[in-house]
Amino acid sequence: MVSPQTSPIEADARATGQRLINQWLASLGTARERGQPVAYVFVMGNAIEILQSFGFALVFPEINSLQTGVRKAAPDFLAKAEDFGFSPDVCSYVKADVGLMLSNMQHPSGVRMPPPDLAIASNLCNVYIKWAEIWERHFGTPAFVLDIPGKRHAEWRSAPDSATRIADTRWVEGQFRDLIAQCEAITGQRFDPDRLAEIEVNVNEMLRLWIEILAFNRSRPSPYNAMLDGLTYMGVLNAYRGTREGVEFMRLLYAEVADKVARGEGRVSNERFRLIFSGTPCYVNLRRMIELFESHGGVFAAADYLTYAAGGLDSAGLFYDPSRPVESLAEVSTLAAQMGLSNHFFSHHTLAQQVKDYAADGLVYHGIKSCRTVATSMADNREYLTSRYGLPTLYIESDLIDPRYWSDAQIKNRVDAFFEVLEQRTLLAKRG
Amino acid sequence: MEYVAGIDSGSTQAKGVILDEHGSLVGQAILNMERNMSTAAEEVFHLALADAQRRPEEIAFTVATGYGRYRVTFGDLQVTEISCHARGALAEFPATHTVLDIGGQDTKAIRIGDAGEVTDFAMNDKCAAGTGRFLGAASFALELPLSELGSLAMQATAPVKITTTCTVFAESEIIGHLAKGHRPEDVLMGMHHAIATRCASLVRRVGLASEVTFTGGVSRNVAMVTLLQEVLGTPLNVSARAQFMGALGAGLYALDQVRAGRRSAHSQEQEVVL
Repeated sequence: MVSPQTSPIEADARATGQRLINQWLASLGTARERGQPVAYVFVMGNAIEILQSFGFALVFPEINSLQTGVRKAAPDFLAKAEDFGFSPDVCSYVKADVGLMLSNMQHPSGVRMPPPDLAIASNLCNVYIKWAEIWERHFGTPAFVLDIPGKRHAEWRSAPDSATRIADTRWVEGQFRDLIAQCEAITGQRFDPDRLAEIEVNVNEMLRLWIEILAFNRSRPSPYNAMLDGLTYMGVLNAYRGTREGVEFMRLLYAEVADKVARGEGRVSNERFRLIFSGTPCYVNLRRMIELFESHGGVFAAADYLTYAAGGLDSAGLFYDPSRPVESLAEVSTLAAQMGLSNHFFSHHTLAQQVKDYAADGLVYHGIKSCRTVATSMADNREYLTSRYGLPTLYIESDLIDPRYWSDAQIKNRVDAFFEVLEQRTLLAKRG
Repeated sequence: MEYVAGIDSGSTQAKGVILDEHGSLVGQAILNMERNMSTAAEEVFHLALADAQRRPEEIAFTVATGYGRYRVTFGDLQVTEISCHARGALAEFPATHTVLDIGGQDTKAIRIGDAGEVTDFAMNDKCAAGTGRFLGAASFALELPLSELGSLAMQATAPVKITTTCTVFAESEIIGHLAKGHRPEDVLMGMHHAIATRCASLVRRVGLASEVTFTGGVSRNVAMVTLLQEVLGTPLNVSARAQFMGALGAGLYALDQVRAGRRSAHSQEQEVVL
């Protein structure tokens, strides 16, 4: 399993989350000594429940990369990849990972990351497959590429029992059966459907709690900042998905957040503006970014990132049916992919809904310089929400982990101006 | 009579205005930002005071704006140039619903609501393409004063199609076209067109609504005004004091503070009330 040992969980969920993440990273460094097989997976479209049922240690290269940003070590890793020949325009997560490979896998967390026995890629992000090919060449280990169909209709989810739903689920299930055979060959173990069902029960419980935890932030004041505390929570959601520790963590977090709501305790002592964040965060200047908003009394009550970036887990209420574990995993993975892949076509509706649900005063878009894909539809989205709902919005741009794209004076200027807009509106509303 | 000051500490120039208690502009000054930001702001403040024939102690409140707003050590309150340009433009042209400001490093499009409030804004990101710096590079490459670029461009007969608006590569782009035998006015007109197209797209991002007021130093450039009117398909308001719009807006915000009973107190933290 992911984490072989955990000490008793303490009272503060964020500190616990950070400790769990560090513990998980450390456990990856000793996986080989324990004789544990290692799989590389992405956060979206990964079938990790199957891998967990075989006892694989899971390395998330995206998390390794973002951690180079959090630990202020990204420039060295990015430079190594660029010196090697990667263009500065290439996804900074890919470059940080290449930098890690060129650094003998010595990660800034102090952990020497193990090479994979198996890597899973999918079509959920347009660099995943090429990225997995880099692993294949570097480590000489196979990449298993999942093809999970998307959907391009106004209604993102295919109807239950529809021909599309049945065909797509069968298509993905077939691939999962192939993956299972490959896992059996690598580990020398027989597939245990009961073990998979057990993992799915845990995922369901984590998901049920997560949906409620997200909903708690509708309270005024918001008990946590979706783009600071929320990111730690999501890290645990990824790394401990389907585990007993993951369920325990979510229970602790639920209790803590419920308690804060009952006491009326907010993340920001003087909450003035409730905001929604759209896009991926800037991990290299995360604290600074949050400080720029919180200094004006602005808190991120919700973020679309928290609803789509945790693999099959999202807030759309997709639960597994453990009585048919492989088929259900295929069906949920398909639906999650449909949601992710067609997100560009309906995100304005989901964001408008979040604005309503969280009683938001404004929305902040964060474009990523080294990934234009995630910024797709932001301009249309912004126009829709501004013209249709008169909602104040702000577009800022930097990067996932590349500090060269963080221009503090420019970003501060835009954030200050955004709050001046919000203040003006408040004043006008008071005047009637 | 009480007076207020508005200081716009920009990337290329510092601008200062002095307003009387009725909001009338009684003094103004402009300085190239060739020195320390704090001292340039102070210098421009004293020049504006001298222009208004007032003494520093007669200034009841000072608002600073622009990238250097936090470096204006005598500023009582900082307001971004987005709010200030909107405010200044509205003071000059009350029916303004869109402001386009082309400054030295930033180009911004600002949308204004019916109550005079800023409803949206868009700015160039990470790149000074389509800003005043691009013209600065042209002036350097052609060895012509900045103030003559616009009128020379207007003499173009066969404008060159310029494909890049990269400020860093502007010089080599110009030299390349000149080497091919194009006339400087035709190259210049091509450059102006490239900037105008880029700025127009920024305006469309916030939604074009008339009247449109063009502010900032580049609005003194006749070719840019002509081209923007053409590309946007609407006439543009251009004030004779277009460069001072940010400082004027800052001065008007200072006046709000005085009217609300606040007075300059550098040691005291002021609550931002716009």
